[in-house]
Amino acid sequence: MRHRLLLRCAMPLPPPQPPPTPRTPGVAGGRLFASLPLPPPLQSRSEVHVWYLLPDELNDASQLKMYMELLSPSERKTALSMNGEKLQKGAVLSRALVRTTLSRYTECKIDPRSFEFKKNKFGKPEILWQSDDVRMECPLHFNISHTSCLIACGITMGTPIGIDIEEKKRKTAKSILSLARRYFTPPEVDYLAKIPDPEAQQKEFIKLWTLKEAYVKALGRGFSGAPFNKFSIMLAAKNGIRISVDSNSSCDSLSENWQFALAELNSSHYMAACIEDDSRTSGSGNGQLSLGLKVWKTIPFVEDTLVSGTEAVKLIC
Amino acid sequence: MPRGARYARHRPNPRRSANFISQPTHRPCVAPLPPLQLLPMASITGSAVSFARPVKALNINSVSFSGLRKDNVAFPLQTAPQRFAVCCYAKKETVDKVCDIVKKQLALADEQEVCAASKFQDLGADSLDTVEIVMGLEEAFGISVEESSAQSIATVEDAANLIDDLVAAGKS
Repeated sequence: MRHRLLLRCAMPLPPPQPPPTPRTPGVAGGRLFASLPLPPPLQSRSEVHVWYLLPDELNDASQLKMYMELLSPSERKTALSMNGEKLQKGAVLSRALVRTTLSRYTECKIDPRSFEFKKNKFGKPEILWQSDDVRMECPLHFNISHTSCLIACGITMGTPIGIDIEEKKRKTAKSILSLARRYFTPPEVDYLAKIPDPEAQQKEFIKLWTLKEAYVKALGRGFSGAPFNKFSIMLAAKNGIRISVDSNSSCDSLSENWQFALAELNSSHYMAACIEDDSRTSGSGNGQLSLGLKVWKTIPFVEDTLVSGTEAVKLIC
Repeated sequence: MPRGARYARHRPNPRRSANFISQPTHRPCVAPLPPLQLLPMASITGSAVSFARPVKALNINSVSFSGLRKDNVAFPLQTAPQRFAVCCYAKKETVDKVCDIVKKQLALADEQEVCAASKFQDLGADSLDTVEIVMGLEEAFGISVEESSAQSIATVEDAANLIDDLVAAGKS
């Protein structure tokens, strides 16, 4: 029954309507919509909204077909070139998540299908705004990350964002310390080497990895523009997360005015988010918990659940 | 591992240019090249390389290989969009070894095909996989890969080409 409703109401999407009254976040299930429920707006530059979905929950063929139809032809082609059904499904869901999430933050004035994307000169995906558009008024930034079982999209207003997720229990083929010695900085290697329990060490490695990835992705200059061994991330209970750039580094693209958040997501993943820190100049410094994080679990067009403040999102720093 | 500047600029559509050689130190294919047959591409590296899907047509204008002529192509050329020749000048053993390392790192089933043109991203490699693969390649071949070079590796053959270059540079 639900599927038929989905097909009838959702396809094709109607032309933009006046935005519906904002729905209370946390209202799960309920009616199917032709447009997406509006989230609370991003209040400030230091607010990060994250929307995630679990591919394993999305197995309905008609639903997946609908998501597929949100994609551009080239996105469809790219998704179908992935090796195997699982990866193809993940690729389709990633793009569907980006498009539906962005649509929400334009008050659904922009149909998920209409977004166009480009890559900056270092390869970071960005929204390609139409010049004559009202969209220019809302400088949305987004970044996406996925594992085989969770896809997350982070959104901000007016500040670049990087987000990275990783399975907590991700096992590496190489030893933790050999990876750290090859790619991390000496202080980070020391920090990891001091952890006696291998499982705890592996978890700290994954935390550092996601934080470093989130920073590189926020910077948007590519891996070689911000080599991992040129900046250190320090996790401290009191000071939160701090970044320091190697002063001998020749990389002038590296800066320290970035804020971080690290959380455990869905009890299965670590998620790191990184945005630019305006407050540095005002003296409040980095490492302060001034990054406002809100997280939703979503099945686009079906169900949205605000999960920040619940067991599904445990803030670490 | 986010894809690099140089590579991204040349690849507006990641799907299209998987096989395009864009290094500044571009060398023509090692002669003699067997006539190109695009389906299957078994003859290029001398191994039983087979592609999961048809390989792109040639764009004769942008490829400067002396041995290639329209007649060598086994199927009609398409004029648009731009497509690029497959050319892997790396040794077969290198490609095979890279395939092995990749398969192991990504825990791929034996039946799953990994070949020269396989893109790491299409195989499901994330950033952590990619750095582990690079480390594995460094250990296996006794080389050291710079971040900037690592970033431009998108396919198995990119890796194999880079490895052979580094090994040769190490020996000289």
